[in-house]
Formats: sequence, C-alpha cells, structure tokens
Amino acid sequence: MNFANLLDNYEEAVAMVLFVVGFSNLLLQPNLIKKIIGMNIMDTAVYLFLALKGYIEGHKAPIVVDGVQSVDAYVNPIPSGLVLTGIVVSVSVSALMLSLTIRLYRRYHTLNLDEISTRLKKEDL
Amino acid sequence: MEFVQNFPFITIILALFSGPLCSILKRRAAKWVNTVMICLVLGMSVATLLFTLQTGEAYVYQMGHFSAPWGNEIRVGVLEAFMAVFFSVIMLLCMLGGRRELAEEVEETKQNLYYVMVGLLLSSLLALIYTNDLFTAYVFVEINTISACGLIMIRQNGRAVEAATRYMIMSLLGSGLFLMGICYLYDLTGHLLMSNIKEQVALLAASGEYHIPLLISITLMSVGLAIKSALFPFHSWVPDAYGYSTLSSAAILSSLVSKGYIFLVVKIFYRVIGFDVIRESKVINVLFVFGVLGMIFGSINAIRENNIRRMIAWSSVAQIGYIYMGFGLGTTAGITASLFHILSHASTKSLLFVSASGLTDVSHDDTDFFELTGAGYRNRIAGVAFTVGSLSMVGIPLFSGFISKVLFASAAYDTSGKVIPAMIALALSTLLNAIYFMKTVIRIYTPPYRANLTTDTRVIAMSEQPQTAVVLMLFIALNLILGLGSQPIVNMLTQGLGMFG
Amino acid sequence: MGIWILLPIFLPVIVGILLLLPTGAGAAAGKDQSPQGDLEGQNSQGDSGSQAHPSNGVQESWRIRFARMTGTFDESPESLSRLHTLTAAALIVSALLALAAAWSGDVSFTWFELMEGIPVYFQIDDVGRLFVTVISLVWVLVCFYSFVYMEHEGKERRFFGFYLIVYGVLVALSFSGNLVTMYLCYELMTLTSMPMVLHSGSRESIMAALKYLFYSMCGAYLGLFAIFFLYQYCDSITFTAGGTLNLALAEGHTGILLAAIMASLIGFGAKAGMFPLHAWLPTAHPVAPAPASAVLSGIIAKAGVLAIIRVVFYIVGADFIRGTWVQTAWMTLALLTVFMGSMLAFREKVFKKRLAYSTVSQVSYILFGLSTLAPTAMEGALLHVVFHAIIKSVLFLTAGIFIFRGNLSRVDQLEGIGKKMPKTLWCFTFASLALVGIPPMSGFISKWYLAQGALEANIGVFGWVGPAVLLVSALLTAGYLLSVVTNGFFPKKKETGGHLTVHAAAAEAGNADSRETDAADAVAARNAGQAITADAQETDPLDGITEAPAGMLIPLAILSALTVLLGIFPNPLIQFVSKIAAAVL
Repeated sequence: MNFANLLDNYEEAVAMVLFVVGFSNLLLQPNLIKKIIGMNIMDTAVYLFLALKGYIEGHKAPIVVDGVQSVDAYVNPIPSGLVLTGIVVSVSVSALMLSLTIRLYRRYHTLNLDEISTRLKKEDL
Repeated sequence: MEFVQNFPFITIILALFSGPLCSILKRRAAKWVNTVMICLVLGMSVATLLFTLQTGEAYVYQMGHFSAPWGNEIRVGVLEAFMAVFFSVIMLLCMLGGRRELAEEVEETKQNLYYVMVGLLLSSLLALIYTNDLFTAYVFVEINTISACGLIMIRQNGRAVEAATRYMIMSLLGSGLFLMGICYLYDLTGHLLMSNIKEQVALLAASGEYHIPLLISITLMSVGLAIKSALFPFHSWVPDAYGYSTLSSAAILSSLVSKGYIFLVVKIFYRVIGFDVIRESKVINVLFVFGVLGMIFGSINAIRENNIRRMIAWSSVAQIGYIYMGFGLGTTAGITASLFHILSHASTKSLLFVSASGLTDVSHDDTDFFELTGAGYRNRIAGVAFTVGSLSMVGIPLFSGFISKVLFASAAYDTSGKVIPAMIALALSTLLNAIYFMKTVIRIYTPPYRANLTTDTRVIAMSEQPQTAVVLMLFIALNLILGLGSQPIVNMLTQGLGMFG
Repeated sequence: MGIWILLPIFLPVIVGILLLLPTGAGAAAGKDQSPQGDLEGQNSQGDSGSQAHPSNGVQESWRIRFARMTGTFDESPESLSRLHTLTAAALIVSALLALAAAWSGDVSFTWFELMEGIPVYFQIDDVGRLFVTVISLVWVLVCFYSFVYMEHEGKERRFFGFYLIVYGVLVALSFSGNLVTMYLCYELMTLTSMPMVLHSGSRESIMAALKYLFYSMCGAYLGLFAIFFLYQYCDSITFTAGGTLNLALAEGHTGILLAAIMASLIGFGAKAGMFPLHAWLPTAHPVAPAPASAVLSGIIAKAGVLAIIRVVFYIVGADFIRGTWVQTAWMTLALLTVFMGSMLAFREKVFKKRLAYSTVSQVSYILFGLSTLAPTAMEGALLHVVFHAIIKSVLFLTAGIFIFRGNLSRVDQLEGIGKKMPKTLWCFTFASLALVGIPPMSGFISKWYLAQGALEANIGVFGWVGPAVLLVSALLTAGYLLSVVTNGFFPKKKETGGHLTVHAAAAEAGNADSRETDAADAVAARNAGQAITADAQETDPLDGITEAPAGMLIPLAILSALTVLLGIFPNPLIQFVSKIAAAVL
C-alpha cells in the first residue's frame, strides 16, 4: 500500500476520516448535542462510503429510459437502497437521542453527561 | 411447501403488528393482547421446531418474489427454531413476573407504550434469529436497540434516563462499527445474503486476496456486536440500565437483548464468514482475552456492589464474558457451550431479577444489601428462587450453570494453548461468583437482629401474589430442566449448529 | 431392584424439606421476628391447648394442618415431642433402610444421565458399606442427644429439617458410584450442612458459616478440576477397585495428571481439615450447636476422606502416584497437619476449639495412613475413620453437655466438674483414652496399624518420621485431653481470686451470648439470663450444675461403650477393612 493508492481512492479515505471523526465525537464529547452531531457524521460517512461503492464511473441512475436495459448502462442500485434505509434508521435514532437529551436537560439543566452522572451519584437515587 | 414453514415469518409480523395494536387499545386489553401475542409466537415457534426436527434440515423461506442473490430471505433450522422457542418462553415469564412492578412504577399513560416496545423487541429478536440477510440484520439490530432503550427509559427517574442515554450512546457506537463492517463486506463480496457472502468469502480466503479488508470487516462486525452485547470494556452502561429500570425491562435486557446480538455473532461466524476463516483470523483470540477479563472484572465489581440489582447486573457482565470466552476457544464445542450458556444465563438471570425484586419488596423497597437481612423469611418463594438462581450461577450440580461450566471446560480441553487460561478463569470466576451470591443468600436468610429492621417490614405470603409465585416456580423448573436434562438440549444445539452454516 | 437405593436417600430429604416448609401466613420463622407473628403464635398456642380449630376455618390450609400433625406449628411441649417423634421415626426408618440396602449385597443403579456418558449412578461396595454404617450409627445416636440439647438453642424445626436432609445426602455420598455423582453429593452436603453451622444466626456464626462454605467450595472446585482431567484420561469414571486410569492415554501427560491429583487431594482435604485448607474447623465448631459440631467433626470431615479414597484408590489407582512427588507432598502435608493440629489443640483454651484442632490432627492420621499406600496402614486409616467418628462425637457431645448445663465453654471453667457430673466426665475419659491410643481402647488398634503400616511401607525416610510424629502427637493428645480429666476429677485448691476470674468469665460469656442472639430468640436469651443470675447468686460457678439428663447421657454412654468395645473385639472390623485394603492395593 502506498501513498498514490491512497490518493486514487481519496473518496474512501475521506469517508473513513469522517467516520473516525464522528466515532470519536460520539465516544468522547461530554456534550450530548455534540455527541448526536458526531453520530450523524459517523452515519453520513457510512452512507458516503456505500454510495461510492455503488457508483460506477460513467453509468447513469438505474431508471430505465428509452428502453435501454443493458446492465452496463446503470450504476448498482442496491447501495442507494441501503443508504435510504440507513437514513431512516439514523433519523429515528437521532430523534430518540434528542428526546432523551431534552428530558435530561429539563431535569438537570445541563447538557454535560459527565456532570449529570456526578449529580446523580450525589443524589443517590 | 407446508403451512408450518410460514410460521417464522408470521411470528415476526405478528409481534411487529401487536405493537401498534397495543397503542390504541385500553390498558387492560393491551396487556392481554401482548400476552396472547407472546403465547402465539411461542406456540408457532414450537411447531416450527418440531417441523425442523422432523425434517432434519434447514429450509429457506423466500420473502417477496425475488430469488436468491437479490431477494430477501429467512432461513430456519433447528437452532433458530429452538432459540425462538426459548426466547419467547423467557419473554413471557419476564413479562408475567414484572407485571405488578410495571403497574406500580410506570405512569398509566405510558404502560401501553411499554407493550408496544415489547412487541417491537420480540419482533426484532425473532428477525435477528431467522434472517438470512445481513442488512436486514442491521435494521433489526437498530430496532432492537431503540425498543430496548424505550424499555429502560419507561421508568421516568433520572437514573433510568441517564442509563438509557448511556446505553444508546454505546449501542450507536456498536451499530456504527457493525454497519461499517457490513459495508466493507458488501464491497468485497457484492452480496448481502449470508449464504452467498460465505461462498465469496471462501473464494477470497482461498486466493488470499483482500486479506486485510476481510480481516477489518470481521473485526468491525465482531467488535460492534461485542460493544452492543456489553462485553467487558464496553459494559459501563450495564449496572445503571439493569439496576434502575423497571423489573421486566431489566430481566428482558439482561436475558434476551444482549443474547440476540450474541446469536447474531454466532450467525456471522458460521453463516456469513465461515468458521474456518474466523478461526484463522485472530479475532477470536481478542474475544477470548476480553471474555476472560470480563469474567474476572465483572465478578470483582459484583462483590464490591451493595445494591442487589446492580450486583446482578455486574454478574451479567461476567456471564457475557463466559459466552465470549466460549467463542474465543475457536471450536464448535466452544460455540455449543456458549449457546448453552446463553440458555442457562437467560433463565437464571431473569429468575434472579424477579426474585430479587420480590425480596426488595419486603425490605422497604430498598435495594441496599443490608436491608435485605432476613428477607428470605418474609417472602419465602422469592427467597427459595433467589437461592436456586445463585446456586445455578455458582455452578452447583443439579442446576443449569454447572452444565454450562462443564461444557466450557471440556470445550477448552480440546484446544491447544487455551486450556490453562480458560480453566483458571473458570475456577477463579466460579469462586468469585460463590463469594457474592452466597453472601447474599446467607444475608437473606439471616434473621434480622437489629431492632430497627423488624419494625415495619411487610411479609408477603405466596398466596398474596400467586402470579409471581407461579412465574418463579416455572423459572426454577426451567433451570432444573436445563440442569438435569441437558443432554437432549445439547444434542439439539449441536444438530442445529450442524445445519446452521 | 436398584431403585430401592434411592429410598433411604430421599425419605430423610423429603421429611426434612417438609419440616422446613413454612407453616402458613407468616407464622413460620417469621414468628421470631414480627409482632404479628408473635400474636399468631400465642393464638395458636391457645388453640392447640383446647384442641379446637380457630373459628375462621377458611384459613386452615393444608400446611397448617401438616404443621399441627408434625409438631412444627408452635413451640409448645407437646408440639415439640411430636416433632421429635417424627424426626426420630424418619431417621431410624431411613437408617434401617440404608443399612438394609448396604448389607444386602452389591447393588448398582443408574438413575438418569446428567450428560452424555455421565450418569447419576449409585453402587454399593465395601467402602460405602463401612461409611454408611458409621454414619447411620452416629447420626441416630446424636439425633437422640440433640432432642434434649436443642431446647437450649431453639429453632428446632430448622435444625432437624436440615439434620435429616444432610443424612440423606450423606447416604447418597456413600453410595455414589462415580466421580460426578460423588461430586454432586459432596456439594449438596456442603450446602445443606451449612445451616447447621449458622444455626444461632449471630454475626460470628454467619461469618463462620461463610468461612466453612468458602473453604469447602474452594476445595470442591479443586476437586472438580481434577475430576475433569481424570475424566479425559480414565476408561470410566465409575469407581473400580484399583483404578481406571488409562496408562496408555496418560503417557506423556503425567505431569499435569499428577498436578490434578494433588489439587484433588488438597481440595477434598479441605473437608478433612488437612493443611493448608484446615482453618474452617476451629472457626465453625465453637459457634455451631454441639450436636452439629459432633457430626461435622465425626462424620462430615470423613466425607473428605471418603472422596480422597475414591479418587486415589478407585479412579487413579495407587500405583500411579506411588513414589511420585504427589505421594511425598501428601505425606508431608498430612504429617504436618497431625503435628500442627495437636500443638494448636494443646494451646487452645476454648474447649470446643480445642476439640476442633484435635479433629484437624486426628483426621490427618487417617490421611497419613492412606498416603503411605501400604495395606496395613490403610487398614489402620479405615479403622481410625470408624473409631474417630465415634470418639469425636463423644467428646463434642460432652462439650455440649457442659454448655447445656452451665455455659461452660472454656477449659479452665471445668475444674472440679467431675464432682458435679461424674457420669459425663467418665464417658469423656473413656473417649479421651481411646483417642490417645491407650490399650485396650479402640484408638490403640488403629494407631498400631498405622504405625506398623508406615514402618512396613517402602516410603524411605517417612517410614520412621511418620510413626515418630504420630507418637509425639499422641502424647500431645494425652496432654490436651487428659488434663481436662484430671482437672475435672481432682481440682486444684480453690483460691478466692481464682474463682472470681472464673465467675467473671462466665458472666462475660453470658453477656456475649445475649448480645449475639437476636432480640426475640427467647429461649437462648432466657438461658443466658439464668446462667448470669445463677452465677451472680452463687459463689461457686459450678454450684447448681447437676448431672446431664438421661436423654443426653444414654446416647453418650452407648457411644463411649462402643469406643471400648470396638477396642476389645476389633476382629470382625479388622477383617472387613483388610478386605477393602486388599482389593485396592
């Protein structure tokens, strides 16, 4: 593996970098909203990666126009389908996370998860 | 095609649609719909199991009208059907056992939602068991996570919400990795159906091409699912989530949700990648190490815990470690042992949660260890059940825990090099288990001698809560069945594993 | 046919469990704690007095009826006598059944398969016969003793419930025919005997019970570890005289097998009180009720010996470990324990603790006899199993009588006790002489065989070190047991200062007692109170102490007569054990 190889596949490299950025944000940020943003970055990176994999240079969207039915004419449609499904999942998860965040904020007036934890320990519920 | 073969699909759909139905019904009606739904799922799964046992081979059920490489399908064998039966039994018992707590702890308006979540959860578990499509598995993993999160946060105290958040965060990290792994694999093989992926992976492995991406993909998927099933270093959410959620949630989460992911791991090992390839990659060694560490650290933390619910939760961390240690052995015997431990742990852990709740009920509703003094006398059936569960966890013969430990030991024996660490870990963790469980058992059978404890504790006779008593007895019976009649079950698991790949 | 073996196992277990069942709405053990429970208890006493049912007949469940029938409903005298009758009847019937099963020939019976190739399997052989006979004899006699003694401790229903269950488990242990069945019974024995240790429920007793549990479990798991390895290298796990080890398979794995065998020796040695896992004995005995101590020392410690016999002589085979480091280590540990136990007993001032250390030492005599792997020494060891079981029961029962009559738990309180309780002390004297090994008492014979066997055996330096240690330990035994006898019969001149301290010690013991017991444990508290008032009024702490009641003396006398009789007529027993030794060596 050499540097040129990396440059050739720069889209994949970007997707991976984004994934790591999102992943570490989700893992390390104490702020809940930033965590959610991180999660969305991570998911988007995965979709980027998937879409890249489905794209074939020079091919068109897989919609039959003018009766052209040759496989060579179109890009792989499955990754696009997967991306759509993934987006649905991601949206619902984000909604759930946001609702949890709202609930925690109403109760503790902070978005910092670590602070909430220490306060809970003091409360000793 | 016989009618029975439709049942797996029908159970998934039934569980899925019981959810929305529950949301519009009255509370009582929803409760019954839920119970009947689980019973129906149970009955149909039993029928499926009998059918697969009879035919002796797995069958593929095509979803929609697209055939193999493109369409979605589910695949049913003895192992899948057996797991479905077992999961629905545990689900039913957990729901019945926690019904009273549910009514007390959860707001009335939210109780319907609970049944929605349970329906969703059961549906996703069944789908995880049956599906033959990797991306479907991912979608249902997420559904499982969301409904499990709902189960935790249904009890609206700060601790539970915080636990749900932490659970969600860890789960999302896990699903992110898992999804990435799937994308890699799809990129490598061009398939999403498990059986097709396996053929391609075998070709890749034979040619030696794309060795590193394949390894990365395996690692991402295993680690992602390990995070979601709370393997040792990723367990931080477990004590809070199990300790502060309502009873049924804790029991279901510890005995079913994590097991669903673990079953998916087995499926990936056997059906997606192929066990030979997995064995050659060193991923299982990593799982072995973390499994062993989990066994020890989970138990040590359990010893230090003074809250009985959290103690049981820590014990779950240790038991998950056992299961991954079995995977790490890298033999079919090891996987069989892990599968048996899934059964054993699921039945024991939910028994422990339900009985522990029975004990805290008679101790000022306090989960503190010292308040439990003498609780075994105040709620007899819960005391007996807790004792049985503890003995099983410690691994006393007669109960299921002993059998799974023997299976682990004999599986470890057949490996080279892992036998000594596995044996030491088993012995050490057994001893640690004995320390905290026996300490608790003795505590609940110690007559309270401090005067302030005897004043206002209430006493619950068996006749007051017949339902809980029956559930506990069924759990005890299940444990004894697993402990005494283990051979037919192990045979079934072996047979199922044979037709699994 | 073989299924009848299960009968003497399950009869006591089932009766025991029935005795432990709650007797209905909170009136069970909850009676001791909750005010409502007390009320109910009083009501029911009134009811049973007039023999009339309570007006609310609806609540008269089958459990209450059962409790009335078995005398477990309340603590009135007639109720207690019913409980005693039931326990005695169940125990005697099952003991007779067990003996009948044991002596009616070689029977084997597979109950069910626990896992493939691992059945729960019972078989009766000579070792089982020997053990089941000793167990039944001691168990029945101690049971009659405890009918009287347990008035002092209270909570009799629980005690007798577990007492019966442990008997059933022990019968199963003696009859078990393969390693896994034995392990199963062994663990059950630990668990079911534990409640007898924590009987009083005080903090000390709970800690002692935990200690007992952990030592036993550590030991049992070491044993399980060994069982697991043996399972891989043996032709079968069924007990066969001479061993079933497949030497061809074991070729090249000798190192790990020997390590596993050593683990099992140390593990099962925990129950037998062998160094390094011996420490539970001196902790558990002082807090347990005297009859429980008697059977713990006399019988349950022997279960460890039984397990070791089974593993070494019936699975591994003596030839495999002869001359290896395992044998050397085993002999060293056994001799070390013999000496150390005696030394600690000699220094110990609490009477029951002293007896516990004595058990540590004496059971290791047995283990030393086994470890020489020589026929004569093994005969001696098996003889000592029988003799020590009987002797140690006598000693502990005597200690129980001293506690029962006057809360005398320390050795220095027993000065002059022979004047007050001559019969009891005579029984103690006979048993002590037997344990020291003075001819013609029973202990002499077993020790003679042990020493002779050690000298005959080809074990190098241990051939003379062993007998020497046994001799020294016998002297120490004389020192710590016979000093009690001489002081008891011939007290030193009494000084006023002397008995003031004694008095203080007694009062302190009384106080400690009342502190430990739970507030509502009326019986024990009353006893302690009586002891204190008695001591306060009288100048002599032994005043007011009379001879033990007949119910305690008769079992004691029978057992001590046995210690002498078995020494005078040992031949049938010797023939029997030599048959066992000849079969395995």
